[in-house]
Amino acid sequence: MAATDATSDACERSAALVAAALALPGILPIAAHAQAPGEGVVALRYYDYRDWQPGVDRMSVRSPSLYALAPLSDPLSVQGSLVYDSVSGASPLYHDTVSGASGRGIGDYRTAGDVKVTKSFGDSALAVGAAYSHEQDYISRAASIEWRRSSADRNRTYVVGFGAAKDRIDAPEGVNGAVLDRPRETYDYLLGMTQVLRADAVVETSVTWSDGHGYYSDPYKLLDARPDHRRIFTWLTRYNQYFAGPDATLRLAYRHLRDSFGDRSHMLEATWVQGLPGGFTVAPTLRYLTQSAADFYRDPPFPQGFVPGDLHTADARLSAFGAWTLGVRVAKAFAGGVTADVAINVYRQRGDWRAGGAGSPGLAELSARWIEFGLEKRF
Amino acid sequence: MASEHELVLYAAGPASAERAAQAAIADVQRIERKYTRYRDDSVTATINRAAGGDAIAIDAETLALLRYADRCHRISAGRFDITSGVLRRAWDFRREPPRVPTRDEIDAARALIGWERVEWSERDVRLPQAGMELDFGGIGKEYAADRAAAILRDHGIAHALVNLGGDVRALGARPDGAPWRIGIRDPRDADATIATVALVDDAIATSGDYARYVEVDGRRYCHILDATTGMPVTHFQSVSVVAPLAVLAGSYATIAMLLGASARAFLDAQALRYWTVDADGTLVSA
Repeated sequence: MAATDATSDACERSAALVAAALALPGILPIAAHAQAPGEGVVALRYYDYRDWQPGVDRMSVRSPSLYALAPLSDPLSVQGSLVYDSVSGASPLYHDTVSGASGRGIGDYRTAGDVKVTKSFGDSALAVGAAYSHEQDYISRAASIEWRRSSADRNRTYVVGFGAAKDRIDAPEGVNGAVLDRPRETYDYLLGMTQVLRADAVVETSVTWSDGHGYYSDPYKLLDARPDHRRIFTWLTRYNQYFAGPDATLRLAYRHLRDSFGDRSHMLEATWVQGLPGGFTVAPTLRYLTQSAADFYRDPPFPQGFVPGDLHTADARLSAFGAWTLGVRVAKAFAGGVTADVAINVYRQRGDWRAGGAGSPGLAELSARWIEFGLEKRF
Repeated sequence: MASEHELVLYAAGPASAERAAQAAIADVQRIERKYTRYRDDSVTATINRAAGGDAIAIDAETLALLRYADRCHRISAGRFDITSGVLRRAWDFRREPPRVPTRDEIDAARALIGWERVEWSERDVRLPQAGMELDFGGIGKEYAADRAAAILRDHGIAHALVNLGGDVRALGARPDGAPWRIGIRDPRDADATIATVALVDDAIATSGDYARYVEVDGRRYCHILDATTGMPVTHFQSVSVVAPLAVLAGSYATIAMLLGASARAFLDAQALRYWTVDADGTLVSA
């Protein structure tokens, strides 16, 4: 059937032509960072987190959230979110060998909201944001300002950002004595760049410098005494590569963090986002984190190494460990701009999984899983 | 792009209309400056000057245009070729008195055509022979129209019409919800139209034998030249095609002109709306 072959051949070549046309930069809003959004979004998400150690259930968090974005007038848009967490279970643990000491249970809730207004000026966009978070013993107020500029062909975007947060910790029932109205101030500076390498590849890199003063100790951990100054340097790089053949995108990310507590961490992440017929996408993710311990972290048995008046923590989050996260997200796009998605992630952290050095000994492995449901509508 | 451009848009107020229009126009001018043959500092001129010599580094935008041109070349079996601009050396449509070039003149120009010989990668492009030329004229204007539409949309504009020299890209419908109504020019009467096309979001482009041509001994030789023969096309007076993007509409219209007798089967296979005017003036639409 030469005629049929010729027709199907022509159709195939035509599909390639259409694909090449759509890959022309700026025709589809792919490098849309500095572009005023032309549509509104309302998204509802539900997040359910639980962690445990062998034989001990720890924290669980249930958190519904609402996000909305609305274009106000043409170059101006506003977005905001509200989240309500309910937290229950044991306090974020330290050594499981002293699980009795962490028995001060937590039954807390958190309400948080943020709002961000973005104004576009041609190739630039200025965003001003504010955030507020409230827990029983903790109030945080933050403000941020961010400026983005795209090159004329929109293949490159620069971003400069500054953020400031003022927190207040008020824990009259702290285990090391009442912590009353202790402040903490943090300033964040961000510098980043996004570059479209080819029609199907984008790389983004940013550095963040955070400088904070104030109360950093955990009021619910016995003998927890941390520095009152924390500087954090973070370098994040992401690379996205689209493959037309399988209609899939590979997302790679690397994050390096070092801070004045003495933590050094490396995080590597790979996600494969596979488009499927019927508006489905399936995205498996694998993430590896390895970190060294804070200088003032002391290994079990608690309170080994504790010297009154010196810095000290037994918080497992500041120990040396390696951790793997395995996750998958399934999303389906429906007619009318509605997208639904569900994601499940499982996490496991162990001292001996640390790369390039010994992990903190004596800690039981920590496992967590979180499930997310999301529903989004675009107008 | 020495042709008439027109921008129609509806915005919330004059200031936002002005901002959106300026951004769109600035980008059209940017693409014009970047890809014109008429400026020494354009990408096109830089690549052409280096013909037979070094490879010239290219950016993502130029790469995407080369990829697109490559697809056009393949789908048209080589008749659409962005290296075919050298045929202008043989075919001078402004010459007085007009004349048809000799076979030798045409063959000399044809020897410099050959997209398949162009060495290009994700990083650079090289024309292997001195005298070879790239010409983005057959793509750049339509690409600019699509970008202008995207920029207007990013400025919150929902109803606009971008007309770059007769290649028209619509953004949305008219503000009252009715489709835009675009007339197709009669190829033999500049003041008459042969059809009216309803357009929402899509684009329409027309390729015709009337834009530039010479008439010698009662025969018309137009500027749409088949890269494989070096000769002007004769099958159609004009072809107009509706497609989702101006760049596609423009290439389909030009490729249809080049394909001649098999053009309608080609357009039918793509399930496109089109209007063709045969050499004898017969209008066929689908």
